[in-house]
Amino acid sequence: MRHRLVLFVGLLLTLPAMAMSVALLNPGKADEAFWLSSARLMAQAANSLDIRFEVHYAERQHTRLLEIARKIIARPAGERPDYVVFSNDYATGPELLRLFDAAGIKTFMAYSGLSDPADRLAIGLPRTRFKGWLGSLEVHAEDAGYQTARKLIETGRRVGAAGKDGKLHLLALAGDRSTPSSHRRSAGMRRAIAEAPDVVLDQEVFAAWSKDKAAEQAGWLYQRYPDARLVWAGSDLMAFGAMQAWESRGGKAGRDAWFSGINTSNEAMDALKSGRLAALSGGHFIAGAWSLVMLYDYHHGRDFAEEGLELDQSMFASFTPRLADRFLERYGDMRFERIDFKRYSKVLNPSLKRYDFNFEQLLR
Amino acid sequence: MSVDFRPIATSLMRAIWRWATLCACLIGSIQAVFSYFHVQNEFEMQVRDVGRSNIPLLSISIWDIEPDIVQRQLDAIAEKPQIGFVSLTVSTGQVFTAGESPPTDKRTAVRFDIPPPGRPAGHLGRLDIYENPQAFYREMLYNVAVALLGYGILTFLICTLVVYFLKRELADPLRHIARFVATLTPDRLTTPLKLERPDGHIRDEIDLVVDGFKVLQDGVNGYIANLDELVAQRTQELETAMLSIQHLSSVDSLTGCFNRRLFNERIVQELERAERYERPLSVAFCDIDHFKQVNDLHGHWAGDQVLKAVAGIFQRLLRSDVDWVARYGGEEFVIVLAETGLNEAVSTAERLRLAIEREVVFCNDKALNITASFGVAQYSEGDSVQVLLQKADSLLYVAKQAGRNRTLPSP
Repeated sequence: MRHRLVLFVGLLLTLPAMAMSVALLNPGKADEAFWLSSARLMAQAANSLDIRFEVHYAERQHTRLLEIARKIIARPAGERPDYVVFSNDYATGPELLRLFDAAGIKTFMAYSGLSDPADRLAIGLPRTRFKGWLGSLEVHAEDAGYQTARKLIETGRRVGAAGKDGKLHLLALAGDRSTPSSHRRSAGMRRAIAEAPDVVLDQEVFAAWSKDKAAEQAGWLYQRYPDARLVWAGSDLMAFGAMQAWESRGGKAGRDAWFSGINTSNEAMDALKSGRLAALSGGHFIAGAWSLVMLYDYHHGRDFAEEGLELDQSMFASFTPRLADRFLERYGDMRFERIDFKRYSKVLNPSLKRYDFNFEQLLR
Repeated sequence: MSVDFRPIATSLMRAIWRWATLCACLIGSIQAVFSYFHVQNEFEMQVRDVGRSNIPLLSISIWDIEPDIVQRQLDAIAEKPQIGFVSLTVSTGQVFTAGESPPTDKRTAVRFDIPPPGRPAGHLGRLDIYENPQAFYREMLYNVAVALLGYGILTFLICTLVVYFLKRELADPLRHIARFVATLTPDRLTTPLKLERPDGHIRDEIDLVVDGFKVLQDGVNGYIANLDELVAQRTQELETAMLSIQHLSSVDSLTGCFNRRLFNERIVQELERAERYERPLSVAFCDIDHFKQVNDLHGHWAGDQVLKAVAGIFQRLLRSDVDWVARYGGEEFVIVLAETGLNEAVSTAERLRLAIEREVVFCNDKALNITASFGVAQYSEGDSVQVLLQKADSLLYVAKQAGRNRTLPSP
C-alpha cells in the first residue's frame, strides 16, 4: 500500500519529465556499416531528445527478429519500451505488428514499409486494424538509383565514354531479387536510362551485395560487353568489386571506366574524392533517427499524421567531393555527436511546419 | 543295377545343359553386341537429354553471371551415373568443370552450344558432357547378366519340366517294363504286362512296346505249346531213322539177310546160349552152284535176282522167330538153326535145296534154273565159331566136289 502510494506520487511528480522509451529491432549485423551507422545515429537522436533507447540486432536472421520481439513482450509492463521501431525486412513486418499490437506496444516501421499487396490486405492501414501501429517512414530508394545513374550518365557524356555505336553502354550490378529497396534502386537507375536516349543498359545482374561476387560478375560483363564504360552499382561495396575487376584487367576507374555506388562508407567517400567513383548517393540511414523525431513529437502531442501516416521520403544526399569531404570531416567513423536532433522536432520548434528528411541538411 | 547305369533323364539333362550353356554363350555374345549398341545409344540419348534439359537454366545462370549456380548445376549433371565429366567453357573465357577426372582417352564428348536466354542468336558458351565409361560397361554388363540369368532360369525350368515328364512318361514305364522282363520266367510267361498310366492318357510308344510284349508273349506261349508235339514227332522220326540205320548196318541190302558183321556178333551169343542151356544148335553153309556162270552169262543184275530169289526162299521156309540167315560171302549164306539137332538140320537144308532146285528165276524173259549145295554141322560142346563153321564148310566143299546140288551129310 505504501509502495503504491510512493509510486503514484512519484509518477505525478515526474510525469512531464519522464523519458519515453524506444526499442529498435535492427535486422542487420552489429558490424554492418549501414545498420551500425543507423543505430548510432538513432542513439544520438535519442540522446538529443532524451529518449531511452535500446537496440537489438537480429544478425540477418529473421527468426531472431521474432524471438527478440517475444522477449520484449515477455518483460514486466514497466520495463517494456513505449515504442518499437522495426524494418519490414524479410517480410517479418506483419508478424511483428501482430505480436506487438497484441501486447499493447506501439510500433513504427522505418526504412522498409509494406510493399506486398497481400500484406496490405491482411494488415490494412496504420491505426486501423492494428491500433498501435502508428505509421511508417520508408526510404524512397528509387531516388538513390536515379541520382547515381543520372550523374554517371552525365559523367559519361562529359568524358565521351560512348562505344562504337555512339551510345553510352551501361552495366548494372543490383543487390538481389527479393529485397524491395534493391528493386527500387534498380528502378531508379532504369528511369534515368529511359530519360537518356543515348544510353543503353547492356545488362543488369545481381551481385548479392557482395564485393567478391560483383568483381567476378563484372569480369564476365566486361568481356561480354567490350563497349561498356559505365558501371552502376546498387551499393558502394559492389561498385568497389566492379572497380577491382576493371583494374585487374589493366583499366583505371575514373579514367577509362566510370562507376557509381550508394552508401556512405569512408571508403566510398574517399573514392568519390579521388575520382574513382563518379557518383555516390547515401544518407538514408538517417531514417531511424527521423523515426525517433516523429515518435518524440507524437509522444508529446504533435501527431505526424498531419504529414501522412505512411511516409515515403527520399533522404538521399547526392555526394560531391566537397560534400564527401564535409561528411568525413563531420561524421567520419560514425561520429554523430555533433548532431542535435532537437532542431528537427516540431514540439521543440513550434515554427517548424514540415519535416525535412533529406540527409543533405546535415551537411550544410 | 550296374555302376555304369545312368538314367535317361540325367543324360538328357546333361545334354540339354551342355547345349544350353553353348547357346547361352552364343546368346550372351549376341546380347553383348546388341547391348553395346543399345546402351551406347541409350547413353547418348540420356546424355543428350541431360544436356538439353540443363541448357535453359545454364543459359540463364551464365547470362545472369551466377558462377555458383553454374557450378552447382554442373555438379548435379556430373552426379548422374552415366556422366563421367562435364566441362563448360563460357564464351568470355571462364571454364567450369565437374566430375571425377578429365577424360584421358579419345572419347568424343557430346557437345552443346548454349544460347543466350530467350534469344535465338548468339553464343554464351559450350557444354561438353563426357560419358562415364565405367557406368557404360556396368550398364552393359547388367544388361547381359539379366539376359543370361533369364535364359538360365528358363533353361532350368524347361529342364526340370523335361525331366519331370520324361520320368513320368518314359523312365518310370521303362523301369516297370525292365522289372517285368527281369522277372519273366517260363511259368509266369502268361502274366500280362500292365502299366499304370495317368488318366486321360493317349497311346504312345510305350504302349507300342507293351503291345509288342504281348505279341512276343503270345508267340512264345504258342511256340512252347507246339514244342511237345514237335518233340514227340521228331523222336518218332529219329527212332525210325535209328532203326533204319541199325537195320542197314546189320542187313545185307540186296538180300535182306543179316550181313557178316551181324553174323559175327550174333553167332557168339547163339553159341553161348546153346552152351549155357545145353541146347542143340546147328549151322548150314549154302553156296549157289555155278553162280559165277550166271553172272558171266546173264550179267550181274541176273546174279542179284538169283541171290534175292534164294534169300526169299530162306525167308519163306525157315522159322522166322528162331532161325536166321546171314549172307556170308558173294554167293555164300550161313543158316543158323537154334534148338535144332543135326538130323533135323539136314532135313531143313534138304528142304531148302529142293525149294531152290524148283525155283525159276526170270531174267530178260529167260528162265534160269539154279541149284545150291549145303554143308550142315551141329555144335559140339567146346566148339568155337571157327571150328563149327569149319565143319560145315568142309562138308560143303565135299558136296561141291561130289557134283553139287546136294546136302551133306546126306539125309
